[in-house]
Amino acid sequence: MPNKMVHVDVSMSYGSLAVLDKIAFDVYENEFLAIVGPTGCGKTTMANLISGLLKPAQGRVTINGRRADPKVQNISFVFQEPSCIPWRTLRDDIYIGLEIKGIDERQARKRVDEAIKLVGMEGFEEYYPHQISGGMKQRVAIARAYVTDPDLMLMDEPFGHLDAQTRYLMQIEVMRIWQKLRKTVVFITNNIEEAVYLAERVLVFSKLPARIKGEFKIDLPRPRDNTDSKFLDIRSEITKMVEVVE
Amino acid sequence: MFEKKSREGIISAGYNVFSLVVVLVMWTIFCRWQNSPFFPGPKAIFFAFVDLVKYGDIEGVSLWLHIWKSLVRIFAGFGAACVLGIPLGLAMGLYPKFYNRTRAVIEPLRFIPPIAWIPMAIVLLVGFQRYVFLIWLGAFFPILITTLLSVAKVNPIHVNVAKVNGANRFYIIRKIVIPSVLPDIAAGMRIGLGVAWMCIVAAEMIGGEMVGVGRLILKYAELLRMAEIIVGMLVIGIIGFIMNEIFIKVEKRIFRWRSQVGIE
Repeated sequence: MPNKMVHVDVSMSYGSLAVLDKIAFDVYENEFLAIVGPTGCGKTTMANLISGLLKPAQGRVTINGRRADPKVQNISFVFQEPSCIPWRTLRDDIYIGLEIKGIDERQARKRVDEAIKLVGMEGFEEYYPHQISGGMKQRVAIARAYVTDPDLMLMDEPFGHLDAQTRYLMQIEVMRIWQKLRKTVVFITNNIEEAVYLAERVLVFSKLPARIKGEFKIDLPRPRDNTDSKFLDIRSEITKMVEVVE
Repeated sequence: MFEKKSREGIISAGYNVFSLVVVLVMWTIFCRWQNSPFFPGPKAIFFAFVDLVKYGDIEGVSLWLHIWKSLVRIFAGFGAACVLGIPLGLAMGLYPKFYNRTRAVIEPLRFIPPIAWIPMAIVLLVGFQRYVFLIWLGAFFPILITTLLSVAKVNPIHVNVAKVNGANRFYIIRKIVIPSVLPDIAAGMRIGLGVAWMCIVAAEMIGGEMVGVGRLILKYAELLRMAEIIVGMLVIGIIGFIMNEIFIKVEKRIFRWRSQVGIE
């Protein structure tokens, strides 16, 4: 049994709007966990709580036994919206986490170069975000997330703004990187196929106030084939659960 | 692309010359039609300019000295407005409570025209202070308000990128907020500089010294000599224009990272 790394047991509301209703689950070390659910069901709130950007109204999120806090733990986050810093070149953008954490500059440079190579962005180091495409910006965000060698990586619908083709390529890319580096990943998406393609385990959230409706272990061999009959079975089962009207 | 840009530049320069010529011709026609000593044509204005350069004004003060003195005053007042307006605007933007709790003081002050402050300035201040105060009044509020508003426009995602990496407040202000708001501050400074020039005549009305472009205009106003007055007006307009162009060039260089957004 692998180590439990993240422990979540929270409720959250914005004013009178209850968003998360007693959500409790664990994330295991080196696991790729996906959370799916209808849009506006509090998935982003969940990501913000796990990262420590938000404080829960009730309950707590712990990472390795300590309360989630980006100043304490090494967490990274790939945001749904384009998040490149416009006045930084791609190299400097990817460097930001190491700069904040005060990593020695020579070593940092080496790690940035590796991260750039990891996402296949060699040759674009000195570009500014306005000079590159949306897919490339998300690659930079992923490189920036990996460069700090995080304990936990959160990805909040990272491909939501991309076209279907780029999205597909990015999924393959993310899987390749995960298989290589085995980081603990919490991946949030409303695309069920994406979740089944990537994750080892999928949590299904209900609509507001969100509860955990179901949990699926996916032990299909990799690389997964999204036309395989087992793949399709799991996909349709999750789809039914997400769409069911209460 | 380069070629296209320089071609566009030439065409645009051509049109600018053309519109200048159109205005001069219209002016000349209007002036002939008016046929009044109080409405000099471009030629009379040009000769007035040459005389001002060659012999100075009625007191022998050269046009260059007038310009120099005004420039010094503008930079002093404008500089004071930047030094006070930018940090105060940043502080108020970062701590909205600060602004919300002082609004009743700041907002009414903003609407009092600098000219209305002249009697107060005469009573309370002397000499150079008066110039600086009136010009500062004009430039300060545009700079303060644009800085203040720009902080609210900082993209929260960029702040979160820093936060999730464990950044403290100081890092976020220095490396996220300030670079984000600099282009807006520069725009506010440009507006402030424009207003500073608008205040120069008011300032030089009460400054005491008989030198300065605003003073030059006032001097010739007493004599009803329109040609020299128009020279003074044009000098202000042209210097303001040149300073603005330089400002834009510098902005373009510093904020290279901004995408070239235009209205074309």
